[in-house]
Amino acid sequence: MSATTEAAPAHVSTPQGLRERVWYPYILIAPSMIMLVVVSLVPFIYAIYLSFHQAKFGRVRDFIWFDNYATLLSDERFWNSIGVAATFVFIAVPIEFMLGLIGALVLNQNVRGRSVLVPLLFMPTMMAPIVVGLLWKIMLAGSWGFFSYNVLERFNILTDTSVFASPDLALYALIFVDIWQWTPFMMLAFFAGLQALPLGPYRAAAVDGANPVQIFFHITLPMMTPLLAVIGLLRFIDAFKVFDTIYILTNGGPGTSTETPSILANKMTFEFWNIGEASALAVLVWIAFFAFCTIFYQVAKKRLNAF
Amino acid sequence: MMRKTWCFAAALAATTALVAPLTSAARADDSFYAEAGKPYAGTTIRVLDEITPLQETLSKIVPDFEKETGIKVEWELLNHFEVINKGQADMLSGRGHYDAIMLHGAQLGPMLSAGVIMPLDKFVADSKLSDPGMNVADFIATPYKTTAFFEGKQYGFINWNYNHVYWAREDLLSNPEEMAAFKAKYGYDLGPAKTIEQMRDIAEFFTRKKGEKLAGKPLESDFYGIVLEGIKGGSTFSNLWVNFIENYGGDLLDDKGMPNFDTPQVVAALKMWRELWTFAPPGIAEYSLVDVPTVMGNGIAAQSLAWSDFVLGIDKPGVSPYAGKFIYGPIPAKAGNEAHRHADAEPSVTVINAASEHPEATFLFLEWLASKKQQDKLIEMGEGGVPIRESSWALPAIKDSDNPTLFAAMKSSLDVAKARPKMEKYPEIIDAMSGIAQEVGLGQMTPEQGAKEGQAILVKLCGGKSCTLPE
Repeated sequence: MSATTEAAPAHVSTPQGLRERVWYPYILIAPSMIMLVVVSLVPFIYAIYLSFHQAKFGRVRDFIWFDNYATLLSDERFWNSIGVAATFVFIAVPIEFMLGLIGALVLNQNVRGRSVLVPLLFMPTMMAPIVVGLLWKIMLAGSWGFFSYNVLERFNILTDTSVFASPDLALYALIFVDIWQWTPFMMLAFFAGLQALPLGPYRAAAVDGANPVQIFFHITLPMMTPLLAVIGLLRFIDAFKVFDTIYILTNGGPGTSTETPSILANKMTFEFWNIGEASALAVLVWIAFFAFCTIFYQVAKKRLNAF
Repeated sequence: MMRKTWCFAAALAATTALVAPLTSAARADDSFYAEAGKPYAGTTIRVLDEITPLQETLSKIVPDFEKETGIKVEWELLNHFEVINKGQADMLSGRGHYDAIMLHGAQLGPMLSAGVIMPLDKFVADSKLSDPGMNVADFIATPYKTTAFFEGKQYGFINWNYNHVYWAREDLLSNPEEMAAFKAKYGYDLGPAKTIEQMRDIAEFFTRKKGEKLAGKPLESDFYGIVLEGIKGGSTFSNLWVNFIENYGGDLLDDKGMPNFDTPQVVAALKMWRELWTFAPPGIAEYSLVDVPTVMGNGIAAQSLAWSDFVLGIDKPGVSPYAGKFIYGPIPAKAGNEAHRHADAEPSVTVINAASEHPEATFLFLEWLASKKQQDKLIEMGEGGVPIRESSWALPAIKDSDNPTLFAAMKSSLDVAKARPKMEKYPEIIDAMSGIAQEVGLGQMTPEQGAKEGQAILVKLCGGKSCTLPE
C-alpha cells in the first residue's frame, strides 16, 4: 500500500473512501429496501395486526387474540377453499410443467418457423388474466358460448348443464384455462434454459454413443434442474394465488366448488367487510407458503443444487 | 315489533306534521330549490348511482338541478356490482369521496350497523331545506316505509323501486297451435301464468329440442321453457326467497328474525325451484340479472321472472327482435295462496354519506330527485319507468303506454313489495344461501338437504340469535 492509499480514509468524500465504509452497500440498496418495506412489509404487518382484532366494516375494534384464526380454522368453507386450491395447483402445475418441458425440447430441435412460432406461443401468457377470463367465458358460456353452442350442443354433449354451471366440471374447466394460459410460459422459460446449456457435454455424449433418452436423463435434466425447480416453484405459488380468471368465470361457484382462498379472501373483505378474518386468512396462507418455500429451498439447494 | 311500529309511526308523523300544512296549500313553488340552494351555490357534490335505463334518463334531468340551484353535481353511474363495491368501500373507509350513494335495500343492514349513513331528520325538520311540496304521502307506501326508516330515523327518500315481474312471449302463448296442444295436455287454457304451478306447466310445455317445432316452425337450436337468475350472489336467492318461498308460505326468518328455513313450505318451494331449473338453459347457474333479460331478448326462452327496469332496456324496437311480442304479469302466486301473494322487489334509497362535507347541498339534491315534478319528468322523458310515487301511475307515459301489461305488472308487484329485513350479515347470508339455491337447482342437493343446510348456515352466521338488526 502506498502512503496515498493509507491516507484515503481521512477523505471520506472520495469514491474510494466511501466504498471502504461498511454502510456503503446499504446505501446502495436503501431505495429498493425502503420501497419494499413501504409497499410490502408495512401492509403485511398491518394485516397481521388486523388479524388479531375484531375488524368489521372498516372499523378496528377489540384485540381478540387468536379468535379470527380459530373461527377460520373451524370453518368448513376455509378448508374447502384450501382443497379447491390444492386440486387446482396439483393438477394444473404438473401438466403445465410436463407440457412445457416437452414443448421446449421440441422447440429446441431447430423446428422450422421457430422465430414465428415462439411469439405466437407466448400470446396466452401475454394476455391479461381478465381478458383470458372473458375469452373463455365467450367460448364456454352455457347456451351462447362459441364452443358450447357449436360443439357441445351440436354433438349433444352436456345437454343438461354447462361447463361453468356444473359443480363437477367447473373446477376442471378453470384448470384447463390455466394450463392454456401458462403452459407457453413454462415452455419458453425451459426453452431459454435449454438454449443456454453448454454444448460440450452433448458433444462428449455423442462421441460416447449415448442415445437421446440417455442424453436427456443424464445431461439435459441434471443441468436444467435448477431452472426447473425455480420455474416450478414460481408457478406453484402463482397458481395457488389464482384470482382473476376464477372471479370472471365462476366467482367461486357453483356453490363453493371453485372457491379458492383468494376468492374467499376477496369476498370476506369486499363483500362481507369482515377484514379481521380476511387478514387471518391471508396470514395463514402466507405462513403455509413460507413453510413450503423454505423446505423447498433447502431441499432444492442441497439435493438438486438449485439456487 | 310494537316498538318498531311506534318508532316508524313517530318518524312518519313528525315528517307529515312538518309537511302537511304546507302540502295542503299545494305550493308548486318552483322557486323553492333556487332559494334553498343559494347558500350552497358553487358547491360541488358527488353522487354515485347505478346504471340502468332509468338512471340514463335521469342523467338528462340532473343538469336542471344545477341550473336551478347553482350546486354542481358530479353524477357517476356504475354497473350493479361496481356501485355496491365502490359505494360501500367509500362509505366504510370514511373517505367521503361521494356525498351521496345509491344503496339497494339489501345494503342498508350492513351500512346502518356500520353507522356510515347520515340520518336526514335534522334536514327534514329545517324549513330552509325541507321542500314544502314534497308530499311524502304520495310515495308508494310500503316500499318507502320499510326502506327509508330505521329506529325511528329517516335515512333517505325512496329513489328506485326495483321490482320483479313475470315476463313471457305473447306470440307463443297466443299461438293457436300451441294453445290447442297445451289445452290437450294440461286441460286448461294457455296464457300468462297466474300461479307458480301454471308457470311450471308452461315451462315444461315449451322446453323443446332443436329440430322440434315451435309455433309451427322447426327450431334451429334448443328452446327453453323458462329462464331465471342462477348465478352465485346477485339476486338469485332473493328471487327464490320472495317469489317462491314466501309465496309458498315459508320465509327465511320468523317474526323475531330467527332462522326459519327448515320448514315444509321451504322444502316445497325448493322442489319447485329444482323442477323449473330442468326447463331452463344449461347455463342457468351462470346467469346474472343482466343475462336473464338478454336471454329473453334473444328469444330462446318462453318466460321468466325478471327485474322490470332491465326489461325496459330490452323490450324496445331495435334492441330485441322480439320487442312488442312480450307480455307481462304479476309474479305468479302459489295456487290456493293467491290472497297472500309476494313479489320480489328492491326498493332503494340514495343516502348521504356520513363523511360527506356537503350534506345540506346533497340533501337538497336528493329531495329534488324525489319531488313529484322531477319524478313526473323522469317518467315522461323515459316514456315510462318504475314509479316511486302513486300519482305516477296516472301519467300519460304509463297510462297510455304501448306496453300496458308491463306497468300493470309493476304496479302489482309494488302493491305488495317491501324492503328486505335489515341484517348486518346480509352479504354473507345471501352468498351462502345463493350457493344452496344453485346446488338445489342443479340437483346437487335435495330440497330437504337444502332447507336443512340453509337453516344450519343461518344459525351459524347469526350466532344462534336474531339475524335482523335490533330496533
